[in-house]
Amino acid sequence: MASSGRRARASVRGYRQRAVRASRLSRVAEAWGTLPERTRSLTPVVIVVALAVTYPFYVDSVPTNIPVIKTVPPLHDAVTILVFVMMGVGLNIVVGYAGLLDLGYVAFYAIGAYTAGWLASGQFEQVKVHFGAVGIPSSATGIHISIWLVLLIAAVVTAVGGILIGLPTLRLRGDYLAIVTLGFGEIIPQFVRNGDELHGFDLTHGTFGISPIDPPGFGHTLNSAIGLPVRYDESFPPTPDRLFFWTILALILLTLFCSMRLRDSRLGRAWIAIREDETAAGAMGIPLMRTKTWAYAGGAFFGGIAGAYIATFNSGAFPTQFDFNISVFLLCMVILGGMGSLWGVVVAGTILAWLNFDGLGNIGSWINTTLLPSSHQIDVPKYSFGIYGIIIVLMMLFRPTGLIPERRRKREIEEATHGGPLDQPLYEMRGADEPGAGERGEPGKIPRG
Amino acid sequence: MALIGLTTGAVYALVALGYTLVYGILQLINFAHGDVFALSGLFATTMIGGAVFGLTDTSTTLGVVGGLAATFVIAAVFGAAVNSSIEFVAYRRLRSAPRLAVLITAVGMSFIVQNISLAIYDVNARSIPPLISGSSVFNISGVVYTWDAFFVVLVTAPVLVLLTWLVKSTRQGKAMRATSQDPEAAAIMGINVNRTISFTFALAGALAGIGATLYLVEFNIRYDTGFTLGLIAFTAAVLGGIGNLTGAVLGAILIGMIQAFNEGLSWNAPGTAWTKSIVFGILIAILVFRPEGLLGERTPEGA
Amino acid sequence: MSEPAPTPAKNDDLLVAMSVRKEFGGLLAVNDLDFAIPQRAIVSLIGPNGAGKTTFFNMLTGLYKPTAGAVIFDGHDVTGKPPHTITKAGIGRTFQNIRLFPQMTALENVLVGMHSRLKGGILGSIFGTPRVRREEREASEKARELLSFAGLRRVDHELAESLSYGDQRRLEVARALATEPKLLLLDEPTAGMNPQETVAFLDFVSKLREQRTIAILLIEHDMKVVMGVSERVTVLDYGEKIAEGTPHEIQHDERVIEAYLGKAATG
Repeated sequence: MASSGRRARASVRGYRQRAVRASRLSRVAEAWGTLPERTRSLTPVVIVVALAVTYPFYVDSVPTNIPVIKTVPPLHDAVTILVFVMMGVGLNIVVGYAGLLDLGYVAFYAIGAYTAGWLASGQFEQVKVHFGAVGIPSSATGIHISIWLVLLIAAVVTAVGGILIGLPTLRLRGDYLAIVTLGFGEIIPQFVRNGDELHGFDLTHGTFGISPIDPPGFGHTLNSAIGLPVRYDESFPPTPDRLFFWTILALILLTLFCSMRLRDSRLGRAWIAIREDETAAGAMGIPLMRTKTWAYAGGAFFGGIAGAYIATFNSGAFPTQFDFNISVFLLCMVILGGMGSLWGVVVAGTILAWLNFDGLGNIGSWINTTLLPSSHQIDVPKYSFGIYGIIIVLMMLFRPTGLIPERRRKREIEEATHGGPLDQPLYEMRGADEPGAGERGEPGKIPRG
Repeated sequence: MALIGLTTGAVYALVALGYTLVYGILQLINFAHGDVFALSGLFATTMIGGAVFGLTDTSTTLGVVGGLAATFVIAAVFGAAVNSSIEFVAYRRLRSAPRLAVLITAVGMSFIVQNISLAIYDVNARSIPPLISGSSVFNISGVVYTWDAFFVVLVTAPVLVLLTWLVKSTRQGKAMRATSQDPEAAAIMGINVNRTISFTFALAGALAGIGATLYLVEFNIRYDTGFTLGLIAFTAAVLGGIGNLTGAVLGAILIGMIQAFNEGLSWNAPGTAWTKSIVFGILIAILVFRPEGLLGERTPEGA
Repeated sequence: MSEPAPTPAKNDDLLVAMSVRKEFGGLLAVNDLDFAIPQRAIVSLIGPNGAGKTTFFNMLTGLYKPTAGAVIFDGHDVTGKPPHTITKAGIGRTFQNIRLFPQMTALENVLVGMHSRLKGGILGSIFGTPRVRREEREASEKARELLSFAGLRRVDHELAESLSYGDQRRLEVARALATEPKLLLLDEPTAGMNPQETVAFLDFVSKLREQRTIAILLIEHDMKVVMGVSERVTVLDYGEKIAEGTPHEIQHDERVIEAYLGKAATG
C-alpha cells in the first residue's frame, strides 16, 4: 500500500519536473521568437563561423573514441575538406542557381591547379620570372608569381576556360549538356596526363604532375611590418596547417558572400528563372546564352581558385587528382544540400567531404571492430561512390529539394499560415496550368480572389 | 587490328542500340547502361569460367559452342533483368518529374551499379580463356578470315536481324514505336505504356548482356569498364542519329574504325592515350554542328 | 461571302505581319497570314482549336521562327529574332498554360520581367554599389506597384506555385507588364476562370488600357470577353484568316459560324 503511494508521489513529482522544464523551454522559445528577424537568422551563422575559426585550437582535444565516427578530422584533412566544400559552392552556382547539369566541374579544378603549377613552380625552366613570390631563391628558374596573384589569375583563366567550354555546350538541351560537360571533364584531365609531349614541349609534365609548387606567404616586408607569416610552410608547427586552414576559411566565406550577393541580384534572378522555366525566362527578356555563360564562368571562377589553392597546399598538381568521380561527388553535395541552398551545400558538403576523406574510413573501422566478426571485414571507403550514388537517387526520389531547401524559411512561413504545399508530392506541383484547375491541392486552404 | 576494330565496333553497336532504344522511348540517357554492360560481362565470366560451365581452351568444340550459346542467353536475360529493375526502381517514379531530376538520378544509378560490380567482383579485371581459335576459316586471295572474326559476325548479325524483326513486325515493337512517338496517344489506343517501357529497358539490357559476352571473347572486363565504353557507344548512337536504330549501328561501325585507326597506327595517329578525347571531340562536334546525327531527322523547334 | 478585305497596313500600325507562314515538317500550321495591329488597339484572335493562334503568337514573340514572311514591330524587323530581343523591343506575353517561375515569389516573378529594363551587372551586384542598390530599390517599388495594380499586393512574398489560379493568371499579366511592353499578348487569359473571375479580369484589362499606352492582342475562346473588350476581331481557321472586323460583324459572319459549328449549322 505504502509503496504504491510512494510510487504515485514520485510519478507526480516527475511529472511536475517535466512540466516545469517544458515551460522553461517554451519561455525561452518565446523570448527567441521576439528577437528581430535579422538577429535570429544571423545567430546560427555567427556560431558556425566562430566554431570554424577556433577549430585549430580545439581539434586536438576532441576525444578519438566517439562511437561510429571516432573523431573529428585533423587540421590537415580539414583544409582539403574545406577546399571541396568551396568547389561545391561553386558548382551550386551552375547547378543550383541556373539548373545546368554540369558533370565536368573537375575540369575547372584541373585548370586552376595547373595554372598554379605553371605560374608558381619550376615547370617552365626555360624562363625566369619572379614576381612577389616568397621564399624562392632568385636564381630559381621557372615562373614564380605571388600565390595571391596566382589565385586571382587562376580564377580568371578558369573562368575564361569556362566561357570557351560554354560556347558549344550551353546551347544544348539538358541531357546533352550533361554529357558534353562530362566530355570536357574527361578531355581536360586526359590532356593533362598526356601533356608532356606536345611536339616535344612539356606543358604538364605528364603523369608525374607539377611539383613542387611554391607556398603562399606574405614575405619579409609584411612580416616585419605587421607580423604576417613569411612563408606558410616554414612557420613553426602547428601553424602551417593553421594558416592554410584560416586562409581556406576566408576563401570560402568570400565565395559564400559573392554567391549570396549574386543570388539576390538581377543576374541571380535570371539564373533561377532559367532553372525554373527556360522558355518563360527567354520570353521575359533574359538573354539565355549570355546568362548561362555567366553562370558557368562564375562556377569556374571559384573552382579555379579552389584548384589553385589546393595545388599550393599540396605543393603539387597531379593528374591522378582529377577524375569524373569528383564531379559526381560535388554534384552529390549540391543535391544533398538542396539546389541553390547555400546553407545546404555547406552542411552537406562538409559532411560528404568529411566522409570521403576521413569519415568512411573511421566508420568502416568502427564497424569492423565493434560490429563484425574478424572473418567478415568490409572495406567501407571502397564503396564510397556507391554510397554517393545511393544518396543521389534517394534524394531525387524522396526529397528533391534537399536537406535544407533553398526556400525553407519562406515555406515555414507558409506552413504556419495555411498548411503549406509540403504535404504534396513535389513533382505534381507543376500542374497548376490546366484549365479549370481552380484551387490547386492545398488542404484546408481558403479560396481567395 | 581489324579484328579488334570489328569486335569493338560490333559491341559498340549492341550497346548503342540499347541507348537509342531507351532514348527513343523516354528521351532519357540511361547513364547506367554502360555499367549494366559491365556487370553482365562480369556475370558472364563466372558462367563460362568457374563453376558453371567450366570452359577452358581444352574443352571440346561442342562444349565451347554449347557453353557460349548458353552464356549469351543467360547474359541477355541477366542484362534485361538488371536494366528493367533500374527503370522500375528509379525512373518510373520520376516519369512526371522535371528532366533535370531524372538525369541526375540516372547518374546516381550508374554509380550504384558500378559499385555493385565492385562489391561482387572486386577491382580486378576478369576474362574468359581463349575459346575461339585464331586459326583461319577461309582464305580469299590472301585475305585471311579467322574464326574469331567470323564469330563476331556470327553472333552480331542474327541479333541485329532479330531486333529488326522485333521492332518492325511484332506487336511489342509497334507498341514501342507508338509510345516513343506519343505516349498519351499510345495509352489511349490501349497500349500499356508501363509494360512497353519495361520491355524496352529489358531489350536494351539484353543487348548489353550479349555485347558484354561478345566483348569477353577478345578483351577483359572490370567493374568500371562500362563507363568509358558506355560513353563511346553513346557517341556512336548520337553520331548515327539518336532514336534511329540503323544509325546506331552505322555510328558504331564508324567509331570502331576511328578508334582502331587511332590506336593501331601509332606512327601517325595520337594513339590510345587520346582515344577518349577524340571520341568526345566527335561527340561535341556532332552536337554542335549536326545534332540529329547522320541518319536522324531535324526535330521541329518549339517550346 | 467574299474574301475578307485584307487589313490595309497603315504606316503607323504598331505591328505588321506579312505573309507569315509556319510549317512543321509536313504540317502547315499558319498559312501566309497577313495581320496588323494599330497603335493602342485591343484586338482579339479567335478560332477553333488547332487553328494556329498560339503558333502565330509564338512566331510574334520569337519562340518559333517563321518558315516564311516577315514581322515588323514598331518599325523594326523582328522576324525570327530570339525571344529576349523581341521582348526588349517591346512585346510582352502571357502563356496559355501558365508559366510562372514556381519557386520564386510573386515579387520576384515580376522583378524577372524587369530584367531587360535594368542594368545591374555582376560586379555592381557583388560590391553593392550605390547605383545598383538604388536600381534594385526602385525596381522593387515598381514591382510592388504592378502587383497592387493586379490586386496581388497581399501575396507578394508568396511562392508563385502556391497562389490561387486566378492570382496566378493575374501575376502572369503583372510580370508581362514589367517588361514595359508596347504590345501585350495575352494567350487565353481567362481559361479556367469562373464567371466572376472573368468579369474581374475584364475590368482589369479595361483598366490596363486606360492607364497605359499599350496595345493588346488577345487569344480567347470566351466570347463574352472577346465581344466585351475588343475593338477588332480576327478569326483564324486552319492557319488562315477567314474573317476580320468588329465584334458585331464577326458574330454574324457565316464563315465564322461555319468554322465553329460546322456546315450544318449554317444550313
